[in-house]
Amino acid sequence: MTSLDTDTIAAVATPPGQGGIGIVRISGPRALAIGETLTGGGLQPRRASYREFVDSDAVIDRGIVLYFPKPNSFTGEDVVELQGHGGPVVLQMLLGATVGQGARLARPGEFTERAFVNDKLDLVQAEAVADLIASASVAAARGALRSLAGDFSKQVHEVDQAILKLRVYVEAAIDFPDEEVEFLEHGEVHRKLGGLLDGLAKLQRDGRQGVLLSQGITVALVGAPNVGKSSLFNRLTGEDTAIVTDIPGTTRDLLKVDLILDGLPVRLVDTAGLRKTTNPVELEGVRRAAGEASRADLVLEIRDLSVPAADPHDALRLPLATKRILVLNKTDLVSGAGSRSAADEVYISCLTGAGFDELKAAIKQQVGFAGEAATFSARRRHLVALQSTRVALERASAELAAKSPGEIIAEELKLAHLELGSITGEVTPDQLLGEIFSTFCIGK
Amino acid sequence: MLQHPENFDVIVIGGGHAGTEAALAAARTGASTLLLTQSIETIGQMSCNPAIGGIGKSHLVREIDALDGVMGRAADLAGIHFRVLNASKGPAVRATRAQADRALYKQAVRSFIEHQANLKVFQQTVVDLLVERERVRGVVTQMGLRCLAPTVVLTTGTFLGGKIHIGFANQPGGRAGDSPANALAERLRALPFRVGRLKTGTPPRIDGRSVDYTVMTEQPGDEPTPNLSFLPARHPRQVPCHITETNPTTHDIIAAALDRSPLFTGVIEGTGPRYCPSIEDKVVRFADRVRHQIFVEPEGLDTPELYPNGISTSLPFDAQIAFVRSIKGFERAHITRPGYAIEYDYFDPRDLELSMQTKVIGGLFFAGQINGTTGYEEAAAQGLLAGLNAARQVAGLQPWFPRRDEAYLGVMIDDLTNLGTNEPYRMFTSRAEFRLRLRQDNADQRLTPIGRELGLVGDERWRAYADKRTRLLDVKSRLERWRVDPGSDVAAVLQANCGAQINRATTFLECLKRPEVSVDKLPELLTGIDTDIVRQVETEVKYEGYIQRQDDEIAKIRRHERISLPGELDYRVVQGLSNELRQKLSDARPTSLARAARIPGMTPAALSVLLVHAKKLRASA
Ligand SMILES: Nc1nc2c(ncn2[C@@H]2O[C@H](COP(=O)(O)OP(=O)(O)OP(=O)(O)O)[C@@H](O)[C@H]2O)c(=O)[nH]1
Ligand SMILES: [Mg+2]
Repeated sequence: MTSLDTDTIAAVATPPGQGGIGIVRISGPRALAIGETLTGGGLQPRRASYREFVDSDAVIDRGIVLYFPKPNSFTGEDVVELQGHGGPVVLQMLLGATVGQGARLARPGEFTERAFVNDKLDLVQAEAVADLIASASVAAARGALRSLAGDFSKQVHEVDQAILKLRVYVEAAIDFPDEEVEFLEHGEVHRKLGGLLDGLAKLQRDGRQGVLLSQGITVALVGAPNVGKSSLFNRLTGEDTAIVTDIPGTTRDLLKVDLILDGLPVRLVDTAGLRKTTNPVELEGVRRAAGEASRADLVLEIRDLSVPAADPHDALRLPLATKRILVLNKTDLVSGAGSRSAADEVYISCLTGAGFDELKAAIKQQVGFAGEAATFSARRRHLVALQSTRVALERASAELAAKSPGEIIAEELKLAHLELGSITGEVTPDQLLGEIFSTFCIGK
Repeated sequence: MLQHPENFDVIVIGGGHAGTEAALAAARTGASTLLLTQSIETIGQMSCNPAIGGIGKSHLVREIDALDGVMGRAADLAGIHFRVLNASKGPAVRATRAQADRALYKQAVRSFIEHQANLKVFQQTVVDLLVERERVRGVVTQMGLRCLAPTVVLTTGTFLGGKIHIGFANQPGGRAGDSPANALAERLRALPFRVGRLKTGTPPRIDGRSVDYTVMTEQPGDEPTPNLSFLPARHPRQVPCHITETNPTTHDIIAAALDRSPLFTGVIEGTGPRYCPSIEDKVVRFADRVRHQIFVEPEGLDTPELYPNGISTSLPFDAQIAFVRSIKGFERAHITRPGYAIEYDYFDPRDLELSMQTKVIGGLFFAGQINGTTGYEEAAAQGLLAGLNAARQVAGLQPWFPRRDEAYLGVMIDDLTNLGTNEPYRMFTSRAEFRLRLRQDNADQRLTPIGRELGLVGDERWRAYADKRTRLLDVKSRLERWRVDPGSDVAAVLQANCGAQINRATTFLECLKRPEVSVDKLPELLTGIDTDIVRQVETEVKYEGYIQRQDDEIAKIRRHERISLPGELDYRVVQGLSNELRQKLSDARPTSLARAARIPGMTPAALSVLLVHAKKLRASA
């Protein structure tokens, strides 16, 4: 059996955000060519060489490059690995450079999938691979959703609708020339295309600046007063942002900080301790805490181990779907606690830092972050898709200017729509026809 | 029981556009073929509007023609008004449409049938199929006659469970004036096919002598008169068409009669086509429109009857008379036949293989409207394929069918068998994702050599094809050798006529690649060279880049096509698919990964899941 695709794919092969070495892996027929372009050529099979990683004359990083010719590689295809020192930003630049040279961003699990398809994995592993790809696709979908902040997704869909509308006119003119459809004038198509290109350019700028791409998942810290929410917040952010005192009810306002937790972009929110109160300021704080908790992707519900558990009726009412982890704090004050952590129950001490590795692992597990940087790659994929869409629209525009026939404009518009469809979902010919029939009175 | 003395290879039921092409195709490949029809007089009858071709449809006609079918030639012999559509929108979507003289068309098709070797015609209504151990063995006709054959092609159009509506009056019927095939419908309903109901309509016909053409817009045919067939043709006398339109009074009359419309009172259950709504549909759905165009098409040279295209209706007859007479030019119109809607059974084409053989009964093939399509061209193309594959099966050969990137025919059968349809399926160019390569000018290059190998293409066509090919190659190499230097006379003409700057030495063929250069603007340079041929060369060089760009995509699809998905795959247990996709996949049962990819809502991740699953199943098998 042949591989599903024979294009060349690339991805970050180590969880980004961790110190030390980061790997970008390239697999497919063009892997060697791309690897050599970026590292200066002359790669020997299975020989590590220390190189500069260069993209358009700029040195991105330095590190080891390895070339595994097919079929003796992980995927069974030609594979090149670039091992740099990069943090997430450098790795993403390196990955971007491979895409610039013609690689496609790999879907989650795609390296494993190719390995399987090329018989690099045995039958016993087949079940596991199928499961992995299934769960990776779920994680990818979640990652893709997460990476679209409301505004961004709204604007992408606006562009999508605008392309669809233009196609409705162009295709209707082709398939129904006898009908009395108010077809667009040449000039009007040109104007609409221009508007589309402007919109896309803005979207790309905003996307690159991360303005419209969401900062990752929101994690809310909630619990009774004085349990140590602010202390946990400070420890996770590594800064003394939140005021910590032994007076219950210290925190009144919401505090938000964006951070990268082992490669997972997280927006951390500290909230006011939840309790019955008559103080109007604190009351408002409690109300906001509850609101934040119900919107969060993940809630860390913090309890103080050194005091008897609070009345469970004080516990927060959260939407059913909200994921939560019970965080039991101040293990240093209780002897014998702290070894029983699970995915949804973790023992820590903000004073000593005990249990924080477990806590981070639990957070990643709860949000389905498998170290594959679903969010990162989804964002990157979206930006790549926007760029391809724009290139196709620019071609449409050039064809229009060159007075090419309508079917050529239609072809480029279709390709643009297809590229954007990788974010928004593809529009089938039948759906397009349906759009035409509901827009125009067609039919003899 | 009575038995026909002869054993046939292929029995075709139905003498419409699907049936005739099916019978002819089977017979051309050498199969001994029997065509059974309710009435020999109605062979080749156009039961809807008297036109062949049009956007997307003339592509099908050209493909049928390239495989030596007869639709194109019959239309050329019967066409009394030809137009080229989309002339300015590019060679790929350019199409040809012919108004045909009904009588001449029927006569032409019947003549082809009667001159075809290996083909016999018999006038009998089929009432039953002989099925043994899930294989067809033959048919039984109304007089109890058994006709035996290992393959049967069923092309009964709208005759299965047909019901005709005019207002609230309805009656069984296959088309106005002909009875439906109910015994057969019942027999087929008993077989495990998924059955659905569709609807289509026709306008009232009008006596041209009662019509005032002077107030309508005349629409002449194109000069020079184009051909539908690749083979040279002699057309009959050409006549113009006319255009008129409805007005607010028309719409008021229609609106007032809606309470007596079977369509708007729920009497009709079948789904009609979105692109061919009845006039009452149009008035309701596009209430803001003050006029709807009507194409007044002649039915023939020898008859005054005309077909007002655009006002199909199932309103009661008194309303039909009233609204027709409110239309400009129709004030004193005499209706010769009332308009009507017809509801009919169709079989879910997802129960068909790409060869058009049913998945349920071996040797039984379906073609035409019975599969949920509409249009003569769609029916004829399916018929040709079904007839061919029935004959191939008898000869012990593998079925043949074109892929989506090879022919509109391939697009149609893939759409039908993979996605099914819930409205009468009509071809549009936008259905063909590779339409830039599926042009009507190259249908012969795409299909005639294959048709020759399949035994479909006779000597006359093969010679004509070979001749055209030689001329194409010849012209191309001449243009390739033709040097164009800056400052030369030719460069001056290119500059003057097309605004093309020649800055360095090049060839004429290279110049043709430029968008601004067109052979139509350069008659003085191309005297003595066949215009059609040089135009086609121009299209080929201009589109080379776009076509090559699709090659990767096509190669990928072909790889995906080779990855087959087992028919018995239980999608409910495949992890990583959404429930919606599981349902769609279970309904469609795609035979390959490529076909799964075309199911709406399919994602790359879901495809990966299917790929791995397929491979796992194969490995453990
Ligand atoms: N021994 C010990 N003390 C802790 C620990 N975590 C927090 N504390 C102390 O508990 C007190 C309350 O901590 P905060 O972080 O202000 O608690 P909070 O939940 O933010 O309280 P409010 O903002 O008032 O709701 C402070 O005096 C901290 O120093 C811990 O792990 N061990
Ligand atoms: Mg606090």
